Amino acid sequence: MDSKLKFNIKDLDLFYGDFQALKNINMKICEKEVTAFIGPSGCGKSTFLRCLNRMNDLIDSVKIKGEIIFDGQDINGDIDVINLRTRVGMVFQSPNPFPMSIYENVAYGPKCQGLKDKTKLDTIVKDSLERAALWDEVKDRLNKSALGLSGGQQQRLCIARTIAMDPEVILMDEPTSALDPIATAKIEDLMQSLKKLYTIIIVTHSMQQAGRISDKTAFFLMGEIVEFDDTHKIFTNPDDKRTEDYITGRFG
Amino acid sequence: MGRKAKDILVKSIIYLATGITLSVLLFIIGFIFVKGIGAINWNFISRDYNEKVFYAFVENSSVPLTIEPKVMENKTTYDKKYETPLEAPVYVENIGAAITKVQYKYYSTDREQFIFSYIEKNSPFQNAVQSNGAPVDIGTDYILQSVNGTDLTGLSTNDVKTLINDQTGQLKLKVISPGGGIKSNIITTLYMILLSLAVALPIGIFGAIYLTEYAKAGKVVNTIRFATECLAGIPSIVFGLFGMAFFVVALNFQISLLSGSLTVAIILLPVIIRSTEEALKTVPMAFRQGSLALGATKLQTIFKVILPCAVPGIATAVLLSVGRVIGESAALLLTAGTVAQIPGTLLSPGSTLTVQAYYVAKEEGNIELACAIGIVIIVIVIILNILSRIASDKLDVFNKK
Repeated sequence: MDSKLKFNIKDLDLFYGDFQALKNINMKICEKEVTAFIGPSGCGKSTFLRCLNRMNDLIDSVKIKGEIIFDGQDINGDIDVINLRTRVGMVFQSPNPFPMSIYENVAYGPKCQGLKDKTKLDTIVKDSLERAALWDEVKDRLNKSALGLSGGQQQRLCIARTIAMDPEVILMDEPTSALDPIATAKIEDLMQSLKKLYTIIIVTHSMQQAGRISDKTAFFLMGEIVEFDDTHKIFTNPDDKRTEDYITGRFG
Repeated sequence: MGRKAKDILVKSIIYLATGITLSVLLFIIGFIFVKGIGAINWNFISRDYNEKVFYAFVENSSVPLTIEPKVMENKTTYDKKYETPLEAPVYVENIGAAITKVQYKYYSTDREQFIFSYIEKNSPFQNAVQSNGAPVDIGTDYILQSVNGTDLTGLSTNDVKTLINDQTGQLKLKVISPGGGIKSNIITTLYMILLSLAVALPIGIFGAIYLTEYAKAGKVVNTIRFATECLAGIPSIVFGLFGMAFFVVALNFQISLLSGSLTVAIILLPVIIRSTEEALKTVPMAFRQGSLALGATKLQTIFKVILPCAVPGIATAVLLSVGRVIGESAALLLTAGTVAQIPGTLLSPGSTLTVQAYYVAKEEGNIELACAIGIVIIVIVIILNILSRIASDKLDVFNKK
């Protein structure tokens, strides 16, 4: 079991100024599984997700205590953040392709790492778009602006962009909340195929989505993890009364 | 008073205010155009402001007149507004050119002079040289002052013809190229725009990047912002005084293009910083996060993603700055001088269009010429506006779908 461990979070506390947003989080996340975080708005699940690739660095008032061990190394310690973010990629809530061509969007990450070889870049772009199930739709317009794509295509482009970095983990922060049901279904299919290659951690507001795609589910409430277990168990036989109330729609 | 009557009253005040604004604007532009349009022609754009006296060496030859004498006599290439012909033009074969005696009246100047009213295509003027052997240009409307040391004052046109015919060998002509144009001012203005932007743009853009991307919100940033806003509001004569004390005197740059452009660069900084900052602020946070999450460094994020998005805003800043440089006169009067010449080096003086407009209006009382310069300035500003719209449309990354 331990050999498959990707993230080991121990006693994590996070403060926005004086406000404690995460309280004593302990969690083990395994390789090549889909882990879903559910919970009502403001419960800290997105904040926790952003801890995993240090995106909270962008907010000045954030203070973090505790350990996040990623492949044996505490990422809150003295590590190369840039390197961490190439290994732990992230897809955001609303699609945010850069205002450049589709090709440039996918090639952006590798280029930032100093890759200049055109043939290598071409291969990476094609592979990434294929894995993100977008290649057939955009192969004739790679040099057109990414802003001309539909919302669902843009989000798959953002996933392709993340895959282009060949990360070990992909964090997804409500990746389908801005999309219609058809685009959502496509992204969910995509996640099923991606989980063979990557560890996926997803924050979602849709319990059906968590139930459909995840192997493990964590239920957050008021900055704490109420319950973290196999998705099947959480949705059929939760240990905690609050979990049951939430997934049956009694609050939240 | 009923509500309806009140509405009508307020509405009419609004319409009246708009009407007054528009008519004032139209009146000013109309006034300038009516006053100045008469002075605008190609010579006005292409000539220097000052007359230039020079000696030209011309081979004595014999070039027959190739056009009808009547046609030659009707060629009045000189400025009919200031020059009235006194005698009929006379063709001189030795120099292949026709000479006309005219009365020249231009504000304080009033004199009789001989001008070249027609020059044959194979006239020896084409090979005229200066004393150092450098080729020199003699065109129509140039003034002939003396031939081989003999001054022409008081002579008739035929006397001059005889005088030239009597000479043998190379002729030494004292010639004055006509002035009254603003070529040098246009070129000085362009120099000023380029130089001041070259200094102010990088500093302003990097300053704006610091303020939006690096500085942590707090007292320091607020102070810098407050300072920039204050700078933007300070009248330019104050900057001019500073430029004169610092660049001209303390750094010993003299009254020069360099002093002027550095002073203007300081005036431009707040404008550039403010507009670039606004442009950077409108770039969505999601782009920054997206880029950083892909393992890009902060600098890569700024230069590859954020700045390209801000280009239309920066283009606006450039346009505003160019407008500011063109419109600047007080500061330049003190730092770049009023000499109407093309500055040969960074340390030579030169006057821009606005300074020249001030100079001719104030020092010479020549309102017509000042208005003509005004028209040129208005046209340049309109062209720049159109260009910058096209540029910012073409450069807008959000436009390319």
